[in-house]
Amino acid sequence: MLSRSALGLYWIGRYLERAQHACRLIADQFETMKDRPVDEIDKGWRRLYGGLRRVPVGGELSSNLDDEQFMLVDAFTLADDLTFEAGNPDSIRSSLANARENARQVRHVVDEDLWSCLNRAFFDLRDLGIADIWQDRPGDFYRRTEDAVRTFFGIAESNMYRDDGWHFLQLGRFVERAQLLSALLEAQLAVYPARGQDTGPDAGPASEAETSDPEAFDAETSDAGADAAADAGPVGDPAADPAADPDWLSLLRICAARDAYGRRHSLHYDPAAVVDFLVADPLLSRSIRYALAQVCAALDAVSAGRPLIAEAGRRAGRLAASIDYDWPNRDPADEEAIRATLRGIGESCRRLHDDIDAAYFSYEPGDGDAA
Amino acid sequence: MPVERAESGAPPPEEGHLFAGYETDPAFYDEMFDADGAPRAHCRELWAALGGTPRDELATMQERAERSFLHEGITFSVYGEEGAQERIIPIDIVPRIVAAEQWEFLERGLRQRLEALNLFLADIYGPGRVIADGVIPADMVRGCPQFRNAMRGVEVAHGAYVSVCGTDLVRTHDGFLVLEDNLRVPSGVSYMLANRAAVKTSLRDAFRRHRVRGIENYGRLLRRTLAELSPRGDSDPTIVLLTPGVYNSAFYEHMFLARETGVELVQGGDLVVRNGFVYMRTTGGLRRVDVIYRRIDDDFLDPLTFRPDSVLGTPGLFNAYRLGNVAIANAPGTGVADDKSVYAYVPEIIRYFLNEEPLLANVETHLCRDPDGLEYTLDNLDKLVVKEVGGSGGYGMLVGPHATAEERDAFAEKIRATPENYISQPTLDLSRAPCLTEDGAAPRHVDLRPFVLRGQETRLVPGAFCRVALTPGSLVVNSSQGGGGKDLWVLSG
Repeated sequence: MLSRSALGLYWIGRYLERAQHACRLIADQFETMKDRPVDEIDKGWRRLYGGLRRVPVGGELSSNLDDEQFMLVDAFTLADDLTFEAGNPDSIRSSLANARENARQVRHVVDEDLWSCLNRAFFDLRDLGIADIWQDRPGDFYRRTEDAVRTFFGIAESNMYRDDGWHFLQLGRFVERAQLLSALLEAQLAVYPARGQDTGPDAGPASEAETSDPEAFDAETSDAGADAAADAGPVGDPAADPAADPDWLSLLRICAARDAYGRRHSLHYDPAAVVDFLVADPLLSRSIRYALAQVCAALDAVSAGRPLIAEAGRRAGRLAASIDYDWPNRDPADEEAIRATLRGIGESCRRLHDDIDAAYFSYEPGDGDAA
Repeated sequence: MPVERAESGAPPPEEGHLFAGYETDPAFYDEMFDADGAPRAHCRELWAALGGTPRDELATMQERAERSFLHEGITFSVYGEEGAQERIIPIDIVPRIVAAEQWEFLERGLRQRLEALNLFLADIYGPGRVIADGVIPADMVRGCPQFRNAMRGVEVAHGAYVSVCGTDLVRTHDGFLVLEDNLRVPSGVSYMLANRAAVKTSLRDAFRRHRVRGIENYGRLLRRTLAELSPRGDSDPTIVLLTPGVYNSAFYEHMFLARETGVELVQGGDLVVRNGFVYMRTTGGLRRVDVIYRRIDDDFLDPLTFRPDSVLGTPGLFNAYRLGNVAIANAPGTGVADDKSVYAYVPEIIRYFLNEEPLLANVETHLCRDPDGLEYTLDNLDKLVVKEVGGSGGYGMLVGPHATAEERDAFAEKIRATPENYISQPTLDLSRAPCLTEDGAAPRHVDLRPFVLRGQETRLVPGAFCRVALTPGSLVVNSSQGGGGKDLWVLSG
């Protein structure tokens, strides 16, 4: 496939993954804003900006936790910045516009149904502003937009010929996912440093934030600490119990991982277990490990017979292996080290992008390449 | 009159009927109605179908067609203060109908003309007999800015210098006339196909009853034509379409054709030349390219040969072409044959190379380089259209009847200063066809651009991009200036 066509599909994958990620984060923030205290809303924004690697206008988020009205007005501005701001290259509108522009340039290799899905999604939000969605269930807007992205990938899945075009679309999508997840988890740990190691296993029981019956599930888990906490009886300060922290539940929700986590672990949202789940679980579609598996598979498919350009494949493979073999040896209590590891994963993803670019898109053709 | 209409099976339209207010004008040939205002025999089904369709339904069809163009991104770019804008070429859903025998005649005429023009190009870049025999002045050919010295002696497969030709035709009471031969990078074929797709959906019953000939195989014919140009002969050649990129106004068409023909869409930077061969950068390394259907001008093909300041081209491309290692369609240097003064010689060129009388007539053209032509032009400026020989898109043009006396005097000065730079033609009474308006059907001026392909043999689909001047009375059909498109139905015999 022509390099520039493959590059276009790669970027479509990246931009749409980015748009979807932002949709999920912001929709979740609107959930938080329904009933959570002001300081939690503030933390939510901090995680959002960190997770999207966006520096707020003015350099940092201004918070005034004593003034609820201020926080709400501020939310309007922040949501606008992340959703519609043309000057923000990662806003949802910018991401969709960029995906569409890439598709327009390589439309001859983009299925008609895919193009029309993307074109419509873009026109549906092109002329909207934050005021248009603010009053009436703003969450719906983000769900609708995410639906358009999901439809796109659904059509791709069912229609696309599995040649390089498909593999580069996948490659872009999952390189972006691995990178976004590492940034989100890093931001999560920065904004919500786990308090488990401070309070110990004697912390209070599950909070009322959980809607289902925690005991029923706890009985099946082997997490002794959590069991002990559940058995402790008296209702204490829910904030003191890491397992009850709604911020970790919301992280799982953002990653569409709540149900899977509940089945796999427990309904105690233990920060270390949640982080481990989102980094290393090979079956969770929004885990770093799963994204890397997709990256490796796509690279294998496009590199067939080309040993000279295997650097990207080697880097992706090393990264996946380090999650399999190095990550389990970490000290779960050493959050500094874990954050550094996540930063390292993000950095590796950036290098991976450069490797891919050098190998497939902007290589200097030598005479030996001419076949 | 009413009696005759009844005999022709077409009662006079009633009040509120789509065609009730439709006025023919004896000055202009009408594509649907005869001189008495009755629908022509080959248009009757359509006339009845449109008349029987509620007006609001027609309006809905019209709106739906235009919306589908926007959704499918069938757009062209217009450059304005806010950067490039994507716009659609408005479509009028009332098709223009060409009867079977009319098309048969047009097709023969178009084949003949392209055959002669290709022979002409082979000759002027080869032995030059047509000049030696005094058929056309040497300086007119070799002094033409579109003449490419580099093309002399280059071997062109099957003599197909022009592989894709888009001829502009108009109809007057005198029949069909060739207005212009577009022999460089003619565009519009995607609109021909898009208009057909939209109208076929809207007017499917009338379409079926009229037994309209299909045009959907254009992409396959184009691919076959291009494949025949491959220097590798029998093998399955690698064909690419070379576009200037997404900012070109015809980018939609480039993308559309790349998909229709199943070839890669490349830009200059995607191609590299190594050891006299052309390659494209693919994800699997360099891959040899055999045929380039280029949709960029000669000047931007290869900075080493044509324009050193160009950033669009591929250095070394022309050398690979001259070595016979890659085919380029259309060949560089074809523009000399659609120069406006060479145009005047095309009938002679046909007679000279084919020993036949031309089937399609030229518009009467006066060359100001000839003393007689100059005198006639200056004496009749108020009746003539004067054009620069190398101009296009309506630039450097004087429309005498619409100009003021001062404008004509000023233009006369320019003509006297460089007479060889100008030609003049009478203002044409372009035919009219009914268009949908808010007040029912109304006549608008139209032309048509069929596309003729030439590889080993000549091929064309029975259809054309029909352009229409949507502004009442206007003769300007250019899409950048209020022109629109129509589907053109060629009927089976």
